[in-house]
Amino acid sequence: MSSFLQILASGLVLGCIYILLAIGLTMVYGILQILHIAHAAVYTIGAAVGLGVFNLTGNFWLSLPVAMVAGGITGVLIYLGVYRKILDAPRIVPLITSIGLFMVAQDLLQKKWLLGPYMHAFPAQVGLPALRTPYLNLTSNEVLILTLTFLLLLAVYLIMNRTKIGLGWRASAQDRDMAAALGVNINQVIALNFLIGSILAAAAGVLVGVYYNKVFATMGDVPSYKAFVIIVLGGLGNIPGTILAGFILALAETFLVATVGFVLPRDAIAFLVLILVLMFRPKGLLGGS
Amino acid sequence: MVRTRLFVTLVAVTVVLALLGSCAPKEPQVYKIGFFSPTTGPAAADGTSALHAAQLAVKFINEAGGVRGKKLELIHYDDAAKPDQAVSVVRKLIEQDKVIAVISGSYSGATRAAASVCQEAGVVMLSAYAIHPDITKTGDKIFRVGTLGTVEGKVGGALVVDKLGAKRIAILTIDNDFGRALTEGFKSYLQGKDVEIVFEEKYPLGETEFKAILQRIKDANPDVLFASAYYSEAANLVRQAKEIGLKAQIVGQEGYDSPKFLELAGDAAEGVIIVTDLNRDDPREIVQKFLAEYQKEYGIPADMVGASAFDAVQILAWAIEKGGPTTEGIVKALKELKNFDKAVTGPILYYTPGREAVRPVGAQIVKGGAFHYFAHFDDPALITPPQ
Repeated sequence: MSSFLQILASGLVLGCIYILLAIGLTMVYGILQILHIAHAAVYTIGAAVGLGVFNLTGNFWLSLPVAMVAGGITGVLIYLGVYRKILDAPRIVPLITSIGLFMVAQDLLQKKWLLGPYMHAFPAQVGLPALRTPYLNLTSNEVLILTLTFLLLLAVYLIMNRTKIGLGWRASAQDRDMAAALGVNINQVIALNFLIGSILAAAAGVLVGVYYNKVFATMGDVPSYKAFVIIVLGGLGNIPGTILAGFILALAETFLVATVGFVLPRDAIAFLVLILVLMFRPKGLLGGS
Repeated sequence: MVRTRLFVTLVAVTVVLALLGSCAPKEPQVYKIGFFSPTTGPAAADGTSALHAAQLAVKFINEAGGVRGKKLELIHYDDAAKPDQAVSVVRKLIEQDKVIAVISGSYSGATRAAASVCQEAGVVMLSAYAIHPDITKTGDKIFRVGTLGTVEGKVGGALVVDKLGAKRIAILTIDNDFGRALTEGFKSYLQGKDVEIVFEEKYPLGETEFKAILQRIKDANPDVLFASAYYSEAANLVRQAKEIGLKAQIVGQEGYDSPKFLELAGDAAEGVIIVTDLNRDDPREIVQKFLAEYQKEYGIPADMVGASAFDAVQILAWAIEKGGPTTEGIVKALKELKNFDKAVTGPILYYTPGREAVRPVGAQIVKGGAFHYFAHFDDPALITPPQ
């Protein structure tokens, strides 16, 4: 029993990381129909800024918000500087642009004066209590990931459902032109979209950096396509779907490895799950209406 | 009209320069040595360490007068530890730079690929630290400086069974040339011994989440976990093992031998034992000088990969000095090598007909956040590679 709970907890922690990363991606798709691959660069930049601030100040609780702000700003700049100009182009244009942006960002981060080709430790002492029960142990970092994800998702929920701008977002996701015609400030909504999604991605970057004690320039490689798998699995543009998909995928990976072992590379599991689900629900778990 | 004339002039100048460039070569003032190692990609830390150490070796040699009165020049290209890239840079070294010999500062996969190119071109290649057995089997121009993977694994077996007295053993293998060679050697030593393998599995390169599999290892209650990994996986492995309270002694190999492992693993590295050739406590002058100079020049401690690359340059320089700057001369010199003591990673006793170095193997333990001497293995039955 304790083994099962422990594995479940590991899976949930992993799921939280996946979700924080994927929400931004699905939000951008929901409102702009763009596959924002460069989102993974925001994740890495968040981790890098977090590490930088931590190295300067030794204070984790300062580096986290600074990284989140930096990520948010980066995301908004990507929208304002790049995507806004190509909104009306055929869909392949923003996709290729996004991929190009991601590659440029990674190459830049690999320069010696930034992250270089090495991995860097991120030994932040978070200061949260660890959980030690006879059935379940959670480290301080795991407690951090679970609680922070919960709080951030709660914040997103409140913004989406209890504020005017959240209402505007939901309207724009349904029908952008109609919402604009009805007086919703589309630019503001889209910018908010990028802001929120990028803040979450940057937070994910910092959390992953601390959890695995490593930050490196190419850490966005796997997330760049895994987050994509998750949002398709959950239904493109569907936030609750993404949350569900993130947990399902993380739990599938964790339980498979825990019971059977590494029969497949972990990332292959993601795609297999995706294929299986799409065979029965082509619009994703909660996609379509 | 002006544009046409400018164009014609440029073409003429280029042609003249090209012709001058391809004039009959004069007597070389330097001996060019080719060197490839990954300085980008996930293996960049090791590749850069190898490169820096090789450059240090060239510096030492040139300061002491060079080889046969001439200076050594190291020509390096990045192979990103990718076999296809290794092949293309080695071709470049041989065909364009016309190096006398090639040293591989890269991993087994890339080294194997490059070995074929060198053998075919009739150029000697020394593998600094890549351990896969098939590298030297490629042909008679390919020599290995580092310890053969199966020997390293066997020594690991002796360490675990004889020195640590373990009875219940768990094996976790990184699923590539490196890991498989180590595990093969390790298991071969365990044959016929009074031990039980209570757990054995492979995991993919680049894996970051070990908790689930470590939990199963913990449930199997081993005395020792023999886990092959590079520093990135190793750091995650030992940290997560500590987090779930795995009590078994973790025994690694040269993949852990990096200051990056110590940095990323933090205090979870304490007490980990690894089979490796660099003994930081070796009192010989060449070792302490290398360690001190490397730290001074590059700001971080040297590791086994660097020490092996350093030694490869030393051995090659010695072979050129003895046999001359030709493939035949170098091969002949290496075959006659006996008790080469100027290697940081310990003496090379001799080369087998299969071009494997016979050499003692060591083990280090992490104490106080640094690697220190733990054990030494020189029993010929153990360290002699199969013929």
